[in-house]
Amino acid sequence: MRLHRFTLFQRLFHLLLMVSFLVQATTGVGRMYAETNFGKVLLTPFGGFYNALVWHKLVGIFMLVLFGVHLIYIMIVALRLRERSIMGPDSIIPNRMDMRMMVNHLGWMVGRNKIPPFERWGYWEKFDYWAVFWGMVIIGGTGLFLYDPLISSAIMPGWTINVAFWIHRIEAILAMAHVFLIHFAIAHLRRHNFPMDRAMFAGGADLESAKEERAAWISRLEQEGRLNNLTSRDTSLPGLVVSYLIGFSAILLGLYVIIGGIVNFRYVTW
Amino acid sequence: MRKKTLCLLVIAAVILLPDPSIGQEEVASRYYHYRSTEMSTGIYEEYEVRPRGIHALFDGDKERQRDAGISRSDESESRAWNRLFLNDSHRGIAFYEYRRCVDCHPGNAQNRHTVRYGITCRQCHGGEPIASINHYFSRLNPIRQHTHVCSKCHSGAKASFALYAVHEPNPARASTIDSIPFLFYAFWIMVAIAVLTFALFIPHTFMWIVREIFHREKKQREE
Ligand code: HEC
Ligand code: HEC
Ligand code: HEC
Repeated sequence: MRLHRFTLFQRLFHLLLMVSFLVQATTGVGRMYAETNFGKVLLTPFGGFYNALVWHKLVGIFMLVLFGVHLIYIMIVALRLRERSIMGPDSIIPNRMDMRMMVNHLGWMVGRNKIPPFERWGYWEKFDYWAVFWGMVIIGGTGLFLYDPLISSAIMPGWTINVAFWIHRIEAILAMAHVFLIHFAIAHLRRHNFPMDRAMFAGGADLESAKEERAAWISRLEQEGRLNNLTSRDTSLPGLVVSYLIGFSAILLGLYVIIGGIVNFRYVTW
Repeated sequence: MRKKTLCLLVIAAVILLPDPSIGQEEVASRYYHYRSTEMSTGIYEEYEVRPRGIHALFDGDKERQRDAGISRSDESESRAWNRLFLNDSHRGIAFYEYRRCVDCHPGNAQNRHTVRYGITCRQCHGGEPIASINHYFSRLNPIRQHTHVCSKCHSGAKASFALYAVHEPNPARASTIDSIPFLFYAFWIMVAIAVLTFALFIPHTFMWIVREIFHREKKQREE
């Protein structure tokens, strides 16, 4: 049996974010490494050094629009809560419980206690969400500032372009390393999810392993009598194939970018 | 009594009357100058500062006139020129003609315009002679950098735009605090955030992956 952790709308958002993030990573890293063959390979599908910047800017604007729509979405979600608290168990907002969960989780890793029962969102998932949120603000903000240096230098002194550029760069490296190493390892590599956590794609999460990891959430769903509405049979073969195809191509691209980036690091004029 | 009034009048005149017309405008910050004058008027030439009339001091001596106001130009006085203010910053440098810019200025070649966009040094610094940045009539003098250099390619460039550091200082170096302090601090704050994140999450993820391998094995053994 499979468990639906995300709505169709959330999965669509994740997919759009994922695709646009990968485009930004490819064009951005490609331009950063334009002096090396690695960078040139990345830029080729986007039409080379100058055209890649056009893609980078357009997709950047698209991501900001996506972020805007997401903000509207959060507001609607918050309004529909009515008298229920926004700090409830379904909330993505970190609370004191997450701190304790993290300590217990680390304790489990070193063999001091049993695995803690997670609620709907693990603390690492909350961190992922807010990391993207603030990353969006920082990269999106500096990106918008760099969009047209002539306009931005009319608002702020020109040297702020140098500053914005470096913030943009470092935050992008942080985001890519986090997604391509940590996020991918958690969603694909660890035994619980191996070879891929399909919660965000067709079919949903595996119910048995969710029971093990998210015991608190599952028992809450059972108590509220909602569990049956959220479970279903696995998807048919096409859905499975497409999910794996998307997931594994993202991993391949991500690893290529990370490894190429590290190997070619010293050949670039920063 | 009359002496006192006279003194007071002179002091009041010095304080209250505007500076004499020969007084030159000086600004400490190119950015505030830009905001207070150029941004509203769009005119930049009015504020240009011409060199003081120093030529009269070297009446007739063309050689000395050329270098006037530059610092020592008298060859008998064996002191180096202050190359920051020469009209030909390479004047007197042996074998200059036979070398490339990057041979002597390797650091300056490491800028994005040259490395990425293929702009040559001369497209910005101009033909011979290459004036020092701060020479009165240098095209790269801050007061006209944007009109005479940047706007050749970036049409509509303003003085603020020219404050962009083409030869960007290394943001990691402490010396950057002197040129663009924000760059230095922003760089290290961002690096600190990144290092903290990874110091936490890389060991965390690694331990997690290792732990889960054993978790399943234990369970299987129990069954
Ligand atoms: C033979 C070595 C040599 C070569 C070749 C050379 N320079 Fe220089 N350049 C110097 C020296 C020495 C100075 C004065 C020292 C200083 O202020 O850094 C100088 C000063 C300058 C300055 C003025 C610096 C200031 O702060 O005002 C500029 C601009 C400059 N060079 C540009 C160029 C360009 C462009 C080229 C290529 C066409 C070039 N140089 C080739 C040695 C060289
Ligand atoms: C996009 C235009 C541009 C290009 C291309 C360019 N420069 Fe410059 N250069 C500048 C500007 C602007 C300054 C003045 C910096 C300032 O105002 O402080 C400068 C300053 C300098 C200085 C003075 C010292 C310093 O670092 O501030 C030297 C030397 C110099 N350039 C050499 C070179 C050499 C050599 C090349 C080619 C490899 C080159 N430049 C290419 C715009 C350019
Ligand atoms: C000979 C042409 C030329 C001159 C002169 C020139 N630039 Fe550029 N500049 C370029 C090109 C080409 C690009 C890349 C544009 C792009 O990628 O869209 C660029 C990009 C930039 C950018 C975008 C950020 C970056 O580094 O990629 C800034 C800021 C900039 N130039 C500032 C200046 C300043 C300040 C001056 C004057 C000192 C100047 N430029 C003079 C050609 C020039």
